Amino acid sequence: MKTTLTRRRILRALSGAVAGLLSLAASRKAKAAVQKMLVASHTPKGYDPTKHKWLMALDVERCIGCGLCVEACKTENNVPLGPNYFRTWIERYVITKPEPGSGELRGEVVVDSPNGGMHGFPSSLVPKEQILKSFYVPKLCNLCEHSPCSQVCPVGATFDTPDGAVLVDPKYCIGCGFCIQACPYGCRFMNPITKTAEKCSLCYHRITRGLKPACVEVCPTEARVFGDLKNQAPDDPIQRFLGKNKAAQSLKAHLGTGPRVLYADLDKEVR
Amino acid sequence: MQRPRIPPQILRLLVLTIVIVTVYSIARYFLTPQSFGMYGWYRAVALDEIAARPTTYAGRKACDECHSEVVQRLAKYEHKSVSCESCHGVGQAHAENPDVAVAKLTYSHCVRCHEADPARPKWLKQVKSKEHYTGQRCTECHIPHQPNEVP
Repeated sequence: MKTTLTRRRILRALSGAVAGLLSLAASRKAKAAVQKMLVASHTPKGYDPTKHKWLMALDVERCIGCGLCVEACKTENNVPLGPNYFRTWIERYVITKPEPGSGELRGEVVVDSPNGGMHGFPSSLVPKEQILKSFYVPKLCNLCEHSPCSQVCPVGATFDTPDGAVLVDPKYCIGCGFCIQACPYGCRFMNPITKTAEKCSLCYHRITRGLKPACVEVCPTEARVFGDLKNQAPDDPIQRFLGKNKAAQSLKAHLGTGPRVLYADLDKEVR
Repeated sequence: MQRPRIPPQILRLLVLTIVIVTVYSIARYFLTPQSFGMYGWYRAVALDEIAARPTTYAGRKACDECHSEVVQRLAKYEHKSVSCESCHGVGQAHAENPDVAVAKLTYSHCVRCHEADPARPKWLKQVKSKEHYTGQRCTECHIPHQPNEVP
């Protein structure tokens, strides 16, 4: 039998292949749809990530450096107690008076965070007479709009969720540590027990149940404000915060990571 | 007319390419998690898994279910912004089973916030615990739930 390679034959073979590929994609979609119906969801009923946009804001003027938030975060999220493992921590800034005759407006800036401020702060190393200004700054994941940590993850184990959190999937994390280096805020660490990267999850297991994150729950002075930008009630804490603090800033905004966590009354020395 | 012939080495390459692409497609079809790509370049089920973790802090609403009297009284005084669990410790276990006691309070709970510190904002009432009525317990003069009142 003689087979000739005509234009008609080639076209027919090609169209067959394309049709085959298309039907494969269609069957996969169908499979996914069926699976989605069958798989039982753990999420608390009625929670739809696309209908929320969570945000944390911090009022620096209200933080008293008690460290309850750091402790609560560790308890709630099973964070190892060592001094290198924090999902949130508090920094103490001490700005000293300038040297007499130096012409400067401010002296040097001393920043410390003993054990993340978890057990409060011992008295400052700088004597009280030399302090020009001193304050506490709570730090946590800045919930970047274009998070560098999720961009560098080689396995898609960390990602920006539609509701504004940046999460780590511990099942997929291979512990390479790229994200820890990528975060310009130092908000990530390697969990020594699970050997996976960890970070503030905005207490995702709490906010999906309608609770506040643990740090916000225990903060005695309402220095930490938490709310949903998509459900704007007038008494929503975040709306009150935004109304009161029009000039709230985010940290290292010049890096282009789009940090969303807002700080009110932030001193320019804070990095 | 001579028909064009595909050289055998090209044919072998073609077959090999088709085999590799087919094997890859089949493997990808079966190995990609079902929820991958639902919200983005990740497994959407991970959201549910993370949301399913148990909570440790119960939240003020849970306290209010049984201790509403205390919660309402607290709301009238200066400590109204202080959550129950800020001082009394984690409460989820206690909320589920009242027989599980919450943590006992000590003096350190008061000075943790109220010890004088130049870094603390001026609006906060602060004391130097080493000079402020040493030897007496805070609660001898102050009621934590009604801090404005001195008995």
